[in-house]
Amino acid sequence: MPRLDVAPDLQLLVRVLRDPLKLQALSPQQFGRVIDAADQLRLLGWLLAQADAHHAPHGCPGWLNDRVLTARARVGEYERAVRWEIDRLNRAFLGIGFPWILLKGAAYIAATLPPGRGRRVADVDVLVPREHLAEAEAALRKHGWEFGELDPYDTRYYREWMHELPPLIHGERRSVIDLHHAILPRTSRLHPSSAHLIEQSRVIEDSVRVLCPVHMVLHAAAHLFHDGEIAGAIRDVVDLDGLLRCFGREPGFWSDFIREARTLDLTRPAYYAVRYARRLLDTPIPPDVVSALAAAEPPPAVRWFMDVLVRTAVAGKSGRTSSAAGLALYVRSHWLRMPPLLLARHLLRKSVRRYPQ
Amino acid sequence: MKHRALSVLSELDARGVQVAIGPFLVRVRSELTGVRDYLERFYVDFPIRTGDEGHFDVAVVGGRGVRRWVRPQASLVLNGVRPFLPLPAHLAGPSLEWGLNWCIGNNAHRYVAVHAAVVERGGRVLILPAPPSSGKSTLCAALISGEWRLFSDEFALIDPETGQLLPIPRPVALKERSIEIIRRRSPHVVFGPEAQDTEGSRFVHMRPPADSVRRASEEARPAWLIVPRFAAGRPTTFEPLPRARALMQLTDQSFNYNYLGRKGFMCLAELVRQCECYRLEYSDLDDVLALLDRVTAR
Repeated sequence: MPRLDVAPDLQLLVRVLRDPLKLQALSPQQFGRVIDAADQLRLLGWLLAQADAHHAPHGCPGWLNDRVLTARARVGEYERAVRWEIDRLNRAFLGIGFPWILLKGAAYIAATLPPGRGRRVADVDVLVPREHLAEAEAALRKHGWEFGELDPYDTRYYREWMHELPPLIHGERRSVIDLHHAILPRTSRLHPSSAHLIEQSRVIEDSVRVLCPVHMVLHAAAHLFHDGEIAGAIRDVVDLDGLLRCFGREPGFWSDFIREARTLDLTRPAYYAVRYARRLLDTPIPPDVVSALAAAEPPPAVRWFMDVLVRTAVAGKSGRTSSAAGLALYVRSHWLRMPPLLLARHLLRKSVRRYPQ
Repeated sequence: MKHRALSVLSELDARGVQVAIGPFLVRVRSELTGVRDYLERFYVDFPIRTGDEGHFDVAVVGGRGVRRWVRPQASLVLNGVRPFLPLPAHLAGPSLEWGLNWCIGNNAHRYVAVHAAVVERGGRVLILPAPPSSGKSTLCAALISGEWRLFSDEFALIDPETGQLLPIPRPVALKERSIEIIRRRSPHVVFGPEAQDTEGSRFVHMRPPADSVRRASEEARPAWLIVPRFAAGRPTTFEPLPRARALMQLTDQSFNYNYLGRKGFMCLAELVRQCECYRLEYSDLDDVLALLDRVTAR
């Protein structure tokens, strides 16, 4: 008996990502499948923005019209929910006396940047100065957030090795906050200065802050392919593309970008970000930026390995090669976080725990 | 107890079939015979044709490898997502309803959806919003055995543009003691085989009345909002419910009014304004049916 094809059509979505004009040529059935795939990859907001820009779908059947309405309501709620969390954070941190900075998804929404449009955000990431971490934690706990159940290993993993506290979950809303004191783990080989990031951050409104544009891009670059999932890999590149297209037009952005990449010790991530945004989504990058970053190029073998990995993962095929690429990305994301021995111990422990008795 | 074989169902394990259920076009696919039997038994009055598109893409797939033979499984894949753990294969048919509930609750934001049993008589709709095990399905099954038309035993679907309620007649799920009570009252109705759900409760499905299915595109206005609660051994109590409280009940039981933002809230507020609102506690079905007859005849 032939097996039913029930998986979301990632290949179709990748084709649309590379060339959004293709949206106009999709059949209603394909359009429905692209909505499903985009929602799964948390790119529904992006898809709807492209659909608006290209006036698609056009003259569609009633069911597809309903599905587009549903998708609009869905991304509206995603954004509203995050804005409400930011509002509650603002209240929890009222008069706290130190800066707190939104990172990643929540920051894109707060700053109304392209990657924030209709974005589904699972965790709100917040950066605070390390010396005020305990105060920030206390403020959140006073306002209804609490730690979930953690065993001693988890607690040690977070407190000793990571750059964030264990997730704080709100008792009523179940919303999750990750409180950071750095943008990369303490055990990582790279150590961008949190003090510098915080000093250069920008106020959005009230006490809500986000990283300055260059730092926002460098943070996204440092996190490129970091969550070790294929879905995450595709979304990371789409985020970078959106940020670079938006900020890249501002005068001085690119020279700041090169300078700050060096200051923060993030030239390698910047190299990868520029390379894959250009290759996968044709992001416009000035030629002198590309040549300035060539100095940060990894050895040829590593570059080849990354190219193959990214190409396979982002090809959007489901099957054995892409799960292997997914696994390699997962291991790599951890490799960047920890020294080898610690990594070996951590992965061993995770693999044992996946099969409870 | 087989019924008219639907030849179109041979497409179930290939391109799929499209079932028109109220305002929704549902694509169903499955390689499991349980799904085919279920559709033949319960969906015989529905418009069904072959097709590969629709509001919802519902697939019920079997297990892989050894799971095809040893304690076989059925998994729901809903628009490419698997929100549930696999079920034992004998629940493949009924799982279709659970999958549809998930789809309507999560993926139909054109309408405001509230957890409620809904019936209609004389162009006026009675809404019974309540959490599970409040006896709303039992009440609904008893009402549609009389003169009421089935809209749904699970969802009040409200069009925020018009304030009208949309019928979505589907098989009615009965649990535990309600099964015998309704079987006794409605001997001529088609019931499915009794089974145990994932929480270990006995349940059966009941075929929706053919007339309700035929009139599935006839919308109607809301008239009564009654919040029921089954309380064993207690006398029937029936009292007015302040509109503000009725609204809180509706928002509590709504799957998605927040997804529609202000429009969703205004839609429910307008619904409450148009309804007579009551709270009902009951244990005797005959008693409550007589009461509802009196109240809605006014």
